[in-house]
Amino acid sequence: MNSEPLADCVHCGFCLPTCPTYVVSGQETESPRGRIYLMDLAARGEISVDEAFGGHIDSCLGCLACVPACPSGVRYDKLIESVRPQVEREVPRGFADRLFRRLIFALFPYPNRLRLAALAGLLYTRSGLRTLLHRLGVVERLPSRLRALEALLPPVGLQALFSSVPEMTPGRGEVRLRVGLLAGCANRVFFGDVNAATVRVLAAEGCDVYVPRDNQCCGALSSHAGHEEDGAERAKATIEMFERYRLDVVVANVAGCGSALKEYGDILSGSPDFAERAKAFSAKVRDITELLAELPARTARAPLDLRVAYHDACHLANAQGVRSQPREVLRSIPGLSVHDIAEAELCCGSAGIYNLVQPDTAEELGRRKAENLQATGPDVVATANAGCLLQIRRFLDEGITVVHPVQLLDASIRGVALFATADLNAKTRERR
Amino acid sequence: MTGDVRAEFVAALGADAVLADPVELRAYECDGLTGFRVVPALVLLPRTAAAVADAVRICARERIPFVARGAGTGLSGGALPVANGVVISLQRLRSIIEVDPVNRRAVVEPGVTNLDISRAAAPHGLYFAPDPSSQQVCTIGGNIAENSGGAHCLKYGFTVHHVLSADVVLPDGTTAVLGADSPHLGGYDLLGAFIGSEGTLGIATRITVKLLPKPAAVRTLVADFPSVEQAGDAVTSIIAAGIVPAAAEMMDAVAIEAVQAALDAGYSRDTAAALIVELDGPQAEVDIQFAEVRQLCQNHGTTNIRVAGDEHERALVWKGRKAAFAAVGRISPDYIVQDGVVPRTLLATALTRIGELAAAAGLRVSNVFHAGDGNLHPLVLYSEAAGELERAEELSRAIAELCVDLGGSLSGEHGIGTDKACSMPRQFSEDDLATMALLRAAYDTDGICNPGKVLPTPRLCGEKPGVHRPHPLEAAGLIERT
Amino acid sequence: MTALCPSTVDELGAAIAETAATHPRLLITGNGTAEGWGAPARPADATVDTTGLTGVIRYSPADMTIAVRAGTPLAIVQQVVREHGQRVALDPARAAQDATVGGLLATADAGPLRTSHGSLRDLVIGTTVVLADGTTARSGGHVIKNVAGYDLAKLFHGSLGTLGVVAEVVLRLHPAPRAVTTVRVPASAEHGFQVATHLVTSGVEAAALEWCAGPDDRLLVRLEGTPDGVADRVREVSADGATVLTDDEACEEWSAVAATAVGEPGDTVVRFGALPAAGPAALGKIRAFADDLGLGVTISSSVPAGVHTVRVHGGAARAHSHLLAALHDDHHANVTVLRRDGLHTSSAWGPPPSAIRVMRAVKHRFDPTCRFGAGRFDGWLDDEKGLS
Ligand SMILES: Cc1cc2nc3c(=O)[nH]c(=O)nc-3n(C[C@H](O)[C@H](O)[C@H](O)COP(=O)(O)OP(=O)(O)OC[C@H]3O[C@@H](n4cnc5c(N)ncnc54)[C@H](O)[C@@H]3O)c2cc1C
Ligand code: SF4
Ligand code: SF4
Repeated sequence: MNSEPLADCVHCGFCLPTCPTYVVSGQETESPRGRIYLMDLAARGEISVDEAFGGHIDSCLGCLACVPACPSGVRYDKLIESVRPQVEREVPRGFADRLFRRLIFALFPYPNRLRLAALAGLLYTRSGLRTLLHRLGVVERLPSRLRALEALLPPVGLQALFSSVPEMTPGRGEVRLRVGLLAGCANRVFFGDVNAATVRVLAAEGCDVYVPRDNQCCGALSSHAGHEEDGAERAKATIEMFERYRLDVVVANVAGCGSALKEYGDILSGSPDFAERAKAFSAKVRDITELLAELPARTARAPLDLRVAYHDACHLANAQGVRSQPREVLRSIPGLSVHDIAEAELCCGSAGIYNLVQPDTAEELGRRKAENLQATGPDVVATANAGCLLQIRRFLDEGITVVHPVQLLDASIRGVALFATADLNAKTRERR
Repeated sequence: MTGDVRAEFVAALGADAVLADPVELRAYECDGLTGFRVVPALVLLPRTAAAVADAVRICARERIPFVARGAGTGLSGGALPVANGVVISLQRLRSIIEVDPVNRRAVVEPGVTNLDISRAAAPHGLYFAPDPSSQQVCTIGGNIAENSGGAHCLKYGFTVHHVLSADVVLPDGTTAVLGADSPHLGGYDLLGAFIGSEGTLGIATRITVKLLPKPAAVRTLVADFPSVEQAGDAVTSIIAAGIVPAAAEMMDAVAIEAVQAALDAGYSRDTAAALIVELDGPQAEVDIQFAEVRQLCQNHGTTNIRVAGDEHERALVWKGRKAAFAAVGRISPDYIVQDGVVPRTLLATALTRIGELAAAAGLRVSNVFHAGDGNLHPLVLYSEAAGELERAEELSRAIAELCVDLGGSLSGEHGIGTDKACSMPRQFSEDDLATMALLRAAYDTDGICNPGKVLPTPRLCGEKPGVHRPHPLEAAGLIERT
Repeated sequence: MTALCPSTVDELGAAIAETAATHPRLLITGNGTAEGWGAPARPADATVDTTGLTGVIRYSPADMTIAVRAGTPLAIVQQVVREHGQRVALDPARAAQDATVGGLLATADAGPLRTSHGSLRDLVIGTTVVLADGTTARSGGHVIKNVAGYDLAKLFHGSLGTLGVVAEVVLRLHPAPRAVTTVRVPASAEHGFQVATHLVTSGVEAAALEWCAGPDDRLLVRLEGTPDGVADRVREVSADGATVLTDDEACEEWSAVAATAVGEPGDTVVRFGALPAAGPAALGKIRAFADDLGLGVTISSSVPAGVHTVRVHGGAARAHSHLLAALHDDHHANVTVLRRDGLHTSSAWGPPPSAIRVMRAVKHRFDPTCRFGAGRFDGWLDDEKGLS
């Protein structure tokens, strides 16, 4: 492991209050400072990379709230990414743990498999089986991890599940940019609505939009979980996929994917034939809200009379430093007010696959986030990451819709009546 | 420690509150002063005050030494564990029990951070005055133990001036309330003695603090000076004019460079010293005195004055100042923060002498300090990898003792802890220290509460700790003593 | 009775060490202004008279600190520093009677300025004490910011001469205000509390907010600062019915406050602390009780701090004791008797605080043979044992 960044940590603890796992557990080993300290000891060979060590590395959400909080400039993101593979290699995992991890890695990066699983999930929820199993207490008896997976199943409609966007959508009026959109694996299945909204907004703002149809995962899940090789392979394939279209900008509407795309330059810097290409590629990557904030608006926006609580997705705010742009985009909608929340820097507990592998901590964090969001009395919660969307929805009171900011912009550009989410429509009408 | 005792801790506190894995214990082996490391036998994470008392009772019965730990940001090794002892972390006692706007006070658990108290009070227009630079992370328990100050203690005083009472678990496992609902109480000021005792007299488990109303007006300026000495003179003249600034803080060029690299807080990069002066209080008073301060800075040769235009700019000035220590991590792999105090009128002398000591040691020293009260924070920069640790420690000790020789103190706010215990004989006579030991023994008969801290011990300092030198004022016949 | 009259710390230490066998019981006295505080001292073998232990050891106007021998009257210190536009921000009533700095520390006394500056506990930055075996020990130092070692001055704050002799004191000074104005607002206790609370939260930074009862109920607001600044703030403070006092009027009012704390021969004076918001009700109860018992009371309350000084006069001695007992019932250990002429049989101290075991342990460690001040804490310290 590269020990240079380890030496930057002066043990001041400024990162502690931003770290969700520390806030929940109060344990030094569950904090950035503690994890860095252990990594340092491991790098010096003073402790072995064993189960206890691995446990505290695994429990890190990778939310990176600790990075901007650090006055000493410690690159925790680099540290955790370089230690995870080591843990994967050296820490023997129990059978159940292995199986569960394999299930996730076998499921999430593959849209078709995921779609199948979701369809099964849909049948499961629609058929009343879910209710039945809950009533019988079967769910409560599942191991907590499987329970988490079960609880995450979003209320997807059949239509959203199979809606997909065309490979190319021409921009309206004089075309300003050629934009590629990463459809995202989990996103494509669970959030067809978000992708459709993204395409519509970009096209309306004069961008030709290309959405490669390859079933390609960007590798974010793998990289963030320490599966280095897998991550690098997926990165190369993704670059090749987008290179086909000669794009000005590559847009992501999932924060986790966006930050992975932006890291390709680093991940592949050692690869002779990909280093340059990856660098050039990463330079083109924007989050959808970043691009929209950069592009002077062309379209007229209809008022939306809504109170919106905005939740900073970790991979957007901390990993990409994108905080003001989503707010700007939202504020460009007349009638809509954006509200910041208490403990904004604290992760909602979704981060990557965290809510699946560390469900107890994730649940406490999710509940806490939902409480802070609700305290602002919102009509709608907006967040720019699929994982957050799923996680937060679990804990919010009924009647508060969780959306991606681009969905609100889409609704505003198209006029409220066209907005797809039925209950939001009702809400808006009721206020008139 | 026997398995039976460990089992008893588990029975009393729950399994998830007892850490015994060797890897996990290592994470607790030091606090903010990483040069000292001791691995404890156990770490306890109680969730309630009652559980703290349970844990201490077991310790007392078994004569197991214990060390309370807050956020572990202490800079004197106060929370350094004791081998074969337990660390009692207060990080799970983090609720704000009550904010009482009418009586302007808050009741909190010890693990609540300093800043969270102010956050909870803010809706009522109130705040908790002590503001150590580490306020976003350090705990009120740690503040009490160290009698922490902050940039604004020149006008508002230290933690001891803002705590009304504390429920304390004494080293024998019994509990007592120190202090009362008002500052008037019968008998000795046992709370006052507890505050600043560095965790050696017991563990505070519930604390009532005073809250102050936010000042009606606040004005802040940053004045650049061609030398640190000139800036120091400006401060002296401001205070001589009968002005008590809320804060008067100074940073030298090295510190400014680090802060600007960490976050652009708008400090001029090409100046030798930046002096932050903040006035607060009634609008009329602040306006009048602010004009005087500007004039005095000008009289002392300031090259540029930047006045914070709004709350945002002001916050940025302070964010920069408060991040200064940690930001120095960007320009030096390692550093030691010193904390000596000199009479304000000797600031210039002290700084010159520190410069000489640093040159002689061949190390860089950056100065960030509370200029208003003469509390210096020389940062000794070094590289452990380059084998400079020992020289740095030597220099650091020399600076602390220089402060004593100038009629000041070893520590203004970070405490003696492990770090400076062996220098105590420089500042205090054997009788002074023996008398302090009486106070300690009154609270802690068996010597199990954070042993080895504050007072020099033969184990730590060798049989003959440094010899006491008479205080310079004694030597000059100005002070008498036996 | 033998009197030890040292004029230096050395002499003091020697005298105490030498008399250990011959004069085991000592009573420490200054100018005798607090003889009536607490419970009466039991007869001693000798007095330690600190009135010879006087003088400024070192005054550094630019550092705004002063070191004095403990027998120096506060009034003298004020005179010395006033020449440099400075003051000790402490105004206890006993200052006018030449109370010594050491005596004020040992009694934890303070005046209306406690609202803005606290008591001596908050102003002492260093102290030298002499213990029962003659050991001289110093804590703190000469700089205002200092956390090295334990703060012995805090233990001696309120010790009533039961731990050792305060020999030297180093004080933090403040700039003397360039202008001072007092505003009087007629107010009941309840209304006075509300006005005071409003003034505190409005950020007007009053130096003192003293509610006084008898003959009229009124709130005194003292503003200190620059001439223009004070004028401006006076306008802010002056509401309906408020009077801006002339210097003479102000002097008269503040003298009355001091007179309440001192009392007259035959009076009982008591000081107690309570939650600020509980003040009006507590004072109402005392007045009603005094009416029933046929007692006269004057009161002065530092409202924001919740510290109340009550002078009881007239009526029967037994009634004074009843009143004190009622105060003990409500305010427990936080009641101190400042003048006990009116009391006969009753104990000066209420139920001991929960920390009494620590207090006893401290006493036991510092003064194991009980040389100093036997009786002053009456029931509290009689059982002198260690913690365990
Ligand atoms: C970057 C940085 C800046 C700093 N700036 C300042 C500053 O401006 N001013 C300042 O005064 N300090 C400053 N400090 C020092 C430090 O933050 C303070 O001393 C703080 O009060 C320590 O709090 P903590 O919760 O981290 O305590 P810890 O470090 O965990 O413990 C400190 C001591 O308190 C004891 N303790 C902890 N909790 C309790 C309790 N409940 N009861 C009894 N004893 C207890 C421990 O045993 C130990 O002796 C700074 C530190 C850092 C790293
Ligand atoms: S804030 Fe940075 S330097 Fe401080 S402990 Fe955390 S990672 Fe280390
Ligand atoms: S990435 Fe998030 S969970 Fe991990 S150490 Fe940093 S703040 Fe904590």
